[in-house]
Amino acid sequence: MALLEIKNLTKSFGGLRAVIEFDLTIDKGEIVGLIGPNGAGKSTVFNLITGVYPPDSGHILFNGESIINRKPYETCLKGIGRAFQVVKPFPDMTVLENTMVGAFSKVEKAGDAQIKAMEILDFVKLAPKRNLLAKNLTIADKKRLELARAMATDPSLLLLDEVMAGLNPKETEDTIALIREIRERGMTLFIIEHVMRVIMTLSDRVAIIHHGSKIAEGAPKEVAQDERVIKAYLGEAYVFARN
Amino acid sequence: MNRFSLTSPRVYVPLGLVVILFVIPLVMRSPIFLHLMILIFFYAYLTLSWNIVGGFAGQVSLGHTAFTGIGAYTSTLLFIQLGLTPWIGMFAGAFLAALMAVIIGYPCFKLRGAYFALSTIGFLEAFRIVVENTNEVFGIPIKGAQGMEVPLRGDSLLYFQFLDKEPYYYIILIMMFIALYVTYRISKSKFGYYLLAIKNDLEAAESLGVNIAHSKLKAAAISGFLTGIGGTFYAQLILFIDPANIIGAYLAFEIVFIAVIGGRGTLLGPILGSFLLVPVSELTRVYLGGTYFGVHLIVFGAMLIVVMLFLPRGINDSVLKIYHWVIEKLERKGSHALEGVASR
Repeated sequence: MALLEIKNLTKSFGGLRAVIEFDLTIDKGEIVGLIGPNGAGKSTVFNLITGVYPPDSGHILFNGESIINRKPYETCLKGIGRAFQVVKPFPDMTVLENTMVGAFSKVEKAGDAQIKAMEILDFVKLAPKRNLLAKNLTIADKKRLELARAMATDPSLLLLDEVMAGLNPKETEDTIALIREIRERGMTLFIIEHVMRVIMTLSDRVAIIHHGSKIAEGAPKEVAQDERVIKAYLGEAYVFARN
Repeated sequence: MNRFSLTSPRVYVPLGLVVILFVIPLVMRSPIFLHLMILIFFYAYLTLSWNIVGGFAGQVSLGHTAFTGIGAYTSTLLFIQLGLTPWIGMFAGAFLAALMAVIIGYPCFKLRGAYFALSTIGFLEAFRIVVENTNEVFGIPIKGAQGMEVPLRGDSLLYFQFLDKEPYYYIILIMMFIALYVTYRISKSKFGYYLLAIKNDLEAAESLGVNIAHSKLKAAAISGFLTGIGGTFYAQLILFIDPANIIGAYLAFEIVFIAVIGGRGTLLGPILGSFLLVPVSELTRVYLGGTYFGVHLIVFGAMLIVVMLFLPRGINDSVLKIYHWVIEKLERKGSHALEGVASR
């Protein structure tokens, strides 16, 4: 049984067809990438999965169970974690407190939440900054906190929305390594990314969405050679194909 | 020097302050002074209760006296009609207040910021007007705008009535500490973290498994419950309840002023705010109240503007800074004294 099964997912906002009959299956342990031009519908797919709004039609099965009419807090408790594209730290809470909020989804006592949060913060190497207020962090650290917080909820599926955006090359390298380690911990990852190099190196499979429809899917190398993908991403994929 | 021994300023200063509060009635016998202290503790208690919704959860309620009203009317009616002691009636009132808080909260919490605040005023005023214009409910007289007298029992612990100020002083002082303890425990609990998360970023909180509606309604229920008990206390203190006061907008606003000036969302803010504002309020009432009604609210407003300009988060942080500075000075003095002794 696949971990996440999306079938025929469709969502429109008024006249705008944001997601059109989108299909995708994600198996446990995979890293699946979702790429596409801005406005293609990537974040909308994430929103539909977590339950920010319901789809107009289609199915989403998580561990065989339909999660269509579930609210975001319910999908989180079911095991889907999410890091947002525009980081949303709790600004007036410390790094540790931020992470503890995530940890509390699975524990009741503050002491246990703190232990769990510290473990995650050690893993993402934010532990030295644990008492800093989130609003005072650098963008790279805020992104890392976003990741740590989502991980603290003990998800089986982690949705990462453009976690590399705004990072310099060194920070990007570190984050790629971190994501690999996260997969090693047993989490399945569904990643939206614009940085081609990142998606192609990390993903087992890649799906491309354009104007709301999936136009290609497969192993990174195959997808990079796909004509439709090159057309949608003129230039970037071109460079990759050269390599 | 051991951090938690009695000789450490960290222990004896707060302990000393608490002891002083308990000892005051034995030293200062003036009923006027004691009444002022009672009011300070009472407002602190109401604001501490309000803080759970207005400070921790960040939903500014401008209509919290709906709950003092329910508390006061419930316990008083049970007393008049059934002879039930207000000590028990108070819990009935508190439960009804908690229920009303959830009923009001359910639609209103969907509103953000100013709209939520407006809706609470709406409910409060509607409730007050209904009570003012109702003479009896199911044959039970509530006397509308005239108000009701609480039956006199003289000096009676059983019926929550006393001729002197001292018993009221101790009761409200203990209530204040209970409210402080409740808010302290909440702040350290999962529930408290969730409320803070909701206040910081609603969407992020939800994505982390926080059931927003559930948390907010729980906060409303606890806050309403505690506030309702405050209503009964007030009824037993003044021995007269009328909608204009006990379901009054003035009192509701005063609570918010105290919370904001003291420090919304902090633990001690409500108490500090009350110690600052209530004496000011009483002074303006004494010297100007006869001539100009509501002048103390103008003073509150002015203080609010000043605080917002210079200390937007309230006086709590500054007061705590000064407090810690004093503690450190005392600690250093203490260790120097010890060194002095040791070197001989």
